Amino acid sequence: MALTETDRPVRQTPPRRPVTRRRQFTGRTALTLFLFMLPAIAFVGMFTYYPLANGISMAFRNYNLNDLSDTSWVGLKNFSTLLHDEMFRGTVKNSLIWVAGSLIPQFLIGFTMALWLRRKFRFRGAYQALVFFPWAVSGFLIGILFRWMFNGEFGVVNDLLMKTHLISTPVPWLADAKYAMVAVIVANVWYGVTFFAIMILAALQSVPEELYEASAIDGAGKVRTLFSITIPSIRTTLALTVLLRVIWIFNSPELIFGMTGGGPANETHIVTSYMIQVTQEGDYGRASAMGVMVVFVLMLFAIFYLLSIRPRKAMR
Amino acid sequence: MRYRQMFAPFAAFALVAAATACGPGPAEKAQSGGEVKLQMVESLTNPTRTALLKKLIADFEAKNSGVKVQLISPPTNSADQKIQQMLQSGKGVDVLEVRDTTVGPFSTNKWIYDMAPDLKGWDGLGALTENALKVTQQGGKSYMVPYGFYGLSLFYRKDLVQQAGFSGPPKSWSEMVEQAKKINDPAKNRYGYSFRGGLGGAGNAITVISGYVIDEINKDNAFKLTNGKTIFSSPKAVEALNLYLDLFKSASPPSSVSWGYPEMVQGFTSGTTGFLLQDPEVIATVKESKTIKEDQWGTAPLPVGPTGKAAQPLANAGWGVAQGSTHKKEAVELVKFLTSGDAAMTFSKENSLVPILKSAADDPYFKDGPWASYVAMNSSPDTYVVVTQPRGVPWSTEWGNKADADVQKLITGKAQPAEILKSWDEYWTKKWAGN
Repeated sequence: MALTETDRPVRQTPPRRPVTRRRQFTGRTALTLFLFMLPAIAFVGMFTYYPLANGISMAFRNYNLNDLSDTSWVGLKNFSTLLHDEMFRGTVKNSLIWVAGSLIPQFLIGFTMALWLRRKFRFRGAYQALVFFPWAVSGFLIGILFRWMFNGEFGVVNDLLMKTHLISTPVPWLADAKYAMVAVIVANVWYGVTFFAIMILAALQSVPEELYEASAIDGAGKVRTLFSITIPSIRTTLALTVLLRVIWIFNSPELIFGMTGGGPANETHIVTSYMIQVTQEGDYGRASAMGVMVVFVLMLFAIFYLLSIRPRKAMR
Repeated sequence: MRYRQMFAPFAAFALVAAATACGPGPAEKAQSGGEVKLQMVESLTNPTRTALLKKLIADFEAKNSGVKVQLISPPTNSADQKIQQMLQSGKGVDVLEVRDTTVGPFSTNKWIYDMAPDLKGWDGLGALTENALKVTQQGGKSYMVPYGFYGLSLFYRKDLVQQAGFSGPPKSWSEMVEQAKKINDPAKNRYGYSFRGGLGGAGNAITVISGYVIDEINKDNAFKLTNGKTIFSSPKAVEALNLYLDLFKSASPPSSVSWGYPEMVQGFTSGTTGFLLQDPEVIATVKESKTIKEDQWGTAPLPVGPTGKAAQPLANAGWGVAQGSTHKKEAVELVKFLTSGDAAMTFSKENSLVPILKSAADDPYFKDGPWASYVAMNSSPDTYVVVTQPRGVPWSTEWGNKADADVQKLITGKAQPAEILKSWDEYWTKKWAGN
């Protein structure tokens, strides 16, 4: 049985002040308002949009730190170099594996954790703090920690697997391309689960308890409650969290940098870690071109994603 | 709703823009009046070294009243980039650490100052070893004075070598492979050689190649042969790389594909590997090992190639002065102070560096123990030929990344030695031709 509006408790809303007349919005007030906003606009402009614009302009110039004697405009040359760069194409493929491979387990595990943490039990606060802990650690540091854990000879991962007889010879985790990608993704899942858990838990706590009570009265089982009450209630949070995570995972090369440095033989480089490498090599032009492409692709993704998850009502 | 739709792309852009990090800005510090305040930036930072530098700086300040030095110590990984940004902004730095890998780009962009006129007549020049003087006067300019050299030698396990039935450490690369294979026993988690397959791995591969082409090598540009072609074009280079590949396949830990500096040193200090090719700074680390005792290990000179010689590519770093400095005179004085007398000797001892001063040869510290092999190498220049690798070229980082990845391709079976060498030959030929 579906829930109707009448099942919900009636909420008292404060009476709105009657609007008598629209306030005059003269040029003078506009100017005053603008002056008040000016410091904020200037700050954001100077520290966000100016560097951004500068970065974008570099993408179209021959801007190499190793030789700044000629920084002329070269049009789309940096972009065409990249599109013909086999390694860049490889990093695009790796980025997709990296994002999908990290996001899906992060989402599923994070969601499950949030559902567990929603229940009340002893030491819930302490347990929550422990679960949320990884989020507070730097990604680069996590990369270095996992690099030692996945070390073939001295690593704890192989040690545990050998002692439990799951493997008989040590796995060279970071030495083999296919294992290395798995290893970095495992580290990233560990790192990112927490974010989903925090966000989803916060959303879950805002779902009115009455809905669950009503569904229990109606005889809904656990699965039915999850799909008919919980998920629809936190749909917006889920959608936005996934969007944010896609952007962040795509843009988080520090873990890969700390763990494999993109190796073995560049097999774990994603677009953004490759971008850092090119920056270190001094070719800011090519690195900026990569940055511009990343922003463009993520922006397109964000637009289509946001449009596709719009509530049906809005489409009518 | 329409407004919201209209704003969606902007909102999405703002979101993406905010989530994508933007560029950093240069750090600038004001100078105070009256006394001269020098800003000094170091690059190869570590806590012990920073403390030592501060001590030496205090000595300098005591001797030069009216000069105050502020030391900036960015984290090593990003230090050179930070220095680059400071130099680019033209302010905030007077004295800086210049490395053989950065001197090229820094001087090309005219960010560092040529100290040659200031060093004329300085008695410190006469106290420098031949190698140190060469670095100080590269191409007639003095963009830096080195504080020390990093040179390779062979760390080996005396007990394992003996158990394998050998009377002493390997002298040549072929003996090295032979001994490493005998020591190798994966079932006991014991391997012959601490292979460097990760960051910096190409450097060791090139050391082997250089030992094979040593008779035809151009000492001033050790990537070139005397006939002007690259060392990678020589058939002997293929031979060398085949041997190196064999060393990996039959005597090194499989996971060493990804081993960088910390792992290879850990491999040796934990007793897992029998041989390690490293800089003298590792002496201190090995001494601290609890697994291997002092009588279990020693150092030996770099293994030689088939003709009994090895190329000794001495990496170096030193101090230089920023072009934008407004106190060049005092800055040069600080550089002179750090690279002469007691300050220079203390610095190379406490940092385990091959010293820059001639007088070190008589110092008991350098004459005995693990240091002896470095001194021995430096006293037989015909066997251990000192060569200069083109580390200061603007494309050195790009080359390092490419070459490291290629070594990983080689040892993971994705490319053959000849293919790798062909691409290296083409890379350098093209770069030298100016493309």
